[in-house]
Amino acid sequence: MAATAAWLAPPSRTELIENLVSGVDRYNPSNVGILEDYLYHQIRSEEYDCLANLAILKLYQFNPDLFNPDVVINILLKALTAEPFPDFNLCISLLDDRPPNSTLDEPDPLPTLLPLVMNLYNLLHQCRFSAFWVLYRSDELEVIRENYTVECAGFEDAIREVAARSVKVTFTRISSERLGTYVDLSGPELEAWVAKQRWSFDSSTGVVSIPPNPDNQIESVVIQEHINLPQLSKVISHTVQVR
Amino acid sequence: MAHQRVALWAAEPDLDDDINDTDVDIPIPMPSSTNEMYDDPNLQLDEGSLQAMQQHIAQQAAFAQVPDVVKRFIVHFHQAVLDNNLQEVTLAYESGWTRLTEKYYAKTEWPEAETIAPLVNDDQIFLILYRELYYRHVYSRLQPNVDDRFHSYENSCELFNYLLNSDGPVSLSLPANWLWDIIDEFIYQFQSFSLFRSRPASKTDDELTMLGSEGGAQAWSSYSVLNVLYSLIQKSRANEWLKARAEGKTDEEIEEIVGEYGTKPLYRMLGYFSIIGLLRVHVLLGDFTLALKVMENVGLGQKAPFTAPTAVHVSTAYHAGICYFMLRRIPDAARVFTGVLNWVMRARQYHTRSYQYDQINKTADRMYALLALCHVLAPTRLDDNVMNIVRERYGDQMGRMGRGEEGLSTFEELFLYACPKFICANSPPYDDPVALASMLIPPTPTSPSSQNPSVVLGDPTQRHLRTASSHFISLTPVSSLKSLLKLYTSLDAQKLTGFLDTSGAGVDEEEVLSWMMVMKNAGRCVGRVTTGGTAANGEKDNDDGSRPTESLLGGEWMSISDLNFVIDQNMVHIAESTVGRRYAGWFIRNSEHAARVLDGIKASPLPPRTAPTQVQKKSADVPKGEGAPRTTGQKVAWGGVKVA
Repeated sequence: MAATAAWLAPPSRTELIENLVSGVDRYNPSNVGILEDYLYHQIRSEEYDCLANLAILKLYQFNPDLFNPDVVINILLKALTAEPFPDFNLCISLLDDRPPNSTLDEPDPLPTLLPLVMNLYNLLHQCRFSAFWVLYRSDELEVIRENYTVECAGFEDAIREVAARSVKVTFTRISSERLGTYVDLSGPELEAWVAKQRWSFDSSTGVVSIPPNPDNQIESVVIQEHINLPQLSKVISHTVQVR
Repeated sequence: MAHQRVALWAAEPDLDDDINDTDVDIPIPMPSSTNEMYDDPNLQLDEGSLQAMQQHIAQQAAFAQVPDVVKRFIVHFHQAVLDNNLQEVTLAYESGWTRLTEKYYAKTEWPEAETIAPLVNDDQIFLILYRELYYRHVYSRLQPNVDDRFHSYENSCELFNYLLNSDGPVSLSLPANWLWDIIDEFIYQFQSFSLFRSRPASKTDDELTMLGSEGGAQAWSSYSVLNVLYSLIQKSRANEWLKARAEGKTDEEIEEIVGEYGTKPLYRMLGYFSIIGLLRVHVLLGDFTLALKVMENVGLGQKAPFTAPTAVHVSTAYHAGICYFMLRRIPDAARVFTGVLNWVMRARQYHTRSYQYDQINKTADRMYALLALCHVLAPTRLDDNVMNIVRERYGDQMGRMGRGEEGLSTFEELFLYACPKFICANSPPYDDPVALASMLIPPTPTSPSSQNPSVVLGDPTQRHLRTASSHFISLTPVSSLKSLLKLYTSLDAQKLTGFLDTSGAGVDEEEVLSWMMVMKNAGRCVGRVTTGGTAANGEKDNDDGSRPTESLLGGEWMSISDLNFVIDQNMVHIAESTVGRRYAGWFIRNSEHAARVLDGIKASPLPPRTAPTQVQKKSADVPKGEGAPRTTGQKVAWGGVKVA
């Protein structure tokens, strides 16, 4: 499986959605409801489909009257959990400038919430996981927690996965105390989480060992060049012609 | 050799008298459309005919001012188009038009289409093509006003309408260069209009009225532009054609698949160019995944299925590279840029005459700048020839960017120079003066207008810049970290923190560890696994990652850093990889070059009688040239020709 296979086409994507994502029907504004429903399905069932969510933002880009700020915030929060893939930035790239919104009954929450979500993203991108949790649990972010992530099943676990991805490639062993601050867990909860990662926890020393993977095993190598046949095709075909 | 023949209209002016002028002096018939325009019942009949008359006279006067050479050119051009004489059309398009532009219209418009209409028997199709050239000239040489912008849109619509909605495929045949220029220019004008539209502050009342009208909202809308491109792709079945070719179908099968439109070169090329046009439109609108997705059947780096103009390759590589750059797939971006820049360098001598030549050079320079950015974000070893030019042009900037945070302004400067002018999909609310006015009020932090999301997001280019520079900022600690780690094979994290906290800025171990994780993440990325030899260094196969990935968005994890490390509790272990010297590229390039030289010599005619002395002279000169390729094979080659 290519590293991007699940990103390009998650196994949970239905044929209907696949047709919308890959066909020209993605431009049809009347399909926005189907995609939005799919987003809320992702939120409920811990699934994630970046390209389908980008298709929603695309429809918003072309049809500003469809724009739904709650959907946008949910998409961005989902994209946070994809780090170190660039999904978050891809979503931001599609958030076009819009004329001040007059069609909504309530004031548009996006201008106040977007900077908060961006701060969260920056902390994750800079691998400042402890700081992420501090900010995430702060009063300032209550509005995000109460209105959005509470609905998003497994959001915190998904963020822990982000941390786990960075830890896994960087460490062979890490103190449980430090790991705890990265994933905002301690005690038995942390032990359970470590076990779920299939990492091992030594309770006498308080050290978590991470099994070897291609990235946390290092060796000095001298890289030799490889020559593939196609590179030589011109030279070889020429020698044949000469004869 | 069509280019060596001097066409009638390209002859020197003093020869003009010899050529009969009869077909030029056509009296202008009253264009029927003029009458309709003045069919306004409110106008007095006399006044109406008076105006028509004045118009008629003005047009005659304009016609009289058109130089005879130009008149002859247009007649000839029209005839070539009528005859579907591809060679003559190409000649007129590539050299005739350019020459006459330099001579007569370097600073003014070409004659209006209405003025020259009598020369071409009011041939509406030719007039559409003529206006295509007319407006392109206005956009490239002059400053298009708001009328030009709307009219060029209408003309493009007429052209595409004719191509797509006639009964069956039209019998026109146009050279590949022109077809590409049509698509390219269509998108350029769309981009230009969107930028023009996005600045409401500097508009005159006239412009505001036009943009606020119903037609103003429709003109150059994103949907209409996408509609044209998708229609051309679908009509010509370009994607099906590319797929069938890739599957190795026979010509008969392919003919059946592509249908009556797709078998015509005109539609086939337009369809293919439209795919590349879509790539560009999606990039301009900031949709980098969709942009690469539409290119799925075209692919990158493969040979185009027909001799496509250089500009096509350059545009493809530039925009695809931007996509990879924004997807943070730096090695992929660098590879795409390097590939095409190498190609442009070698092909330089062949495309000097193209109208696109300046554009190609400009885009190439942007790609060198982007390569400098790539190199800062993810230093990988690239092709030496290309990298030397990057250093030559952007060496200073690269040095500054390598110095951490103070390099940010340089990074931003270079990004703004090298990135395309991104556009916004929608118009500001020109139809709603109140909303428009509220946009024009400069936002202050306290005023309620900060509710406007544009304050948060900014214009598209700023937004993309921000995402790129936030990545740059996150990487700023990496370079000093790297240079420190290079000195050790193992190092205590606390000690490392001490080294980094030289200024007493309060860098703590946790912060250093987060930098280490950033560095580790930056040292690996997803990239396309290629079968070619130009893949990034240190490419590492994951479990079963050796399979080539077809999709442009697909990829495998690879390690792109020569400095690797791992942390065992508090101890950092470091390993550095080195790259062995590479010979293959040099050897292959020079073998191919030698082969070309050999072929060239063999293909040239036998030397005339005086030749032997010349040859001797030449070979005598060679040893003096330092670093010149050894040419001892030359004599043998001559001998071979004599035998043959």
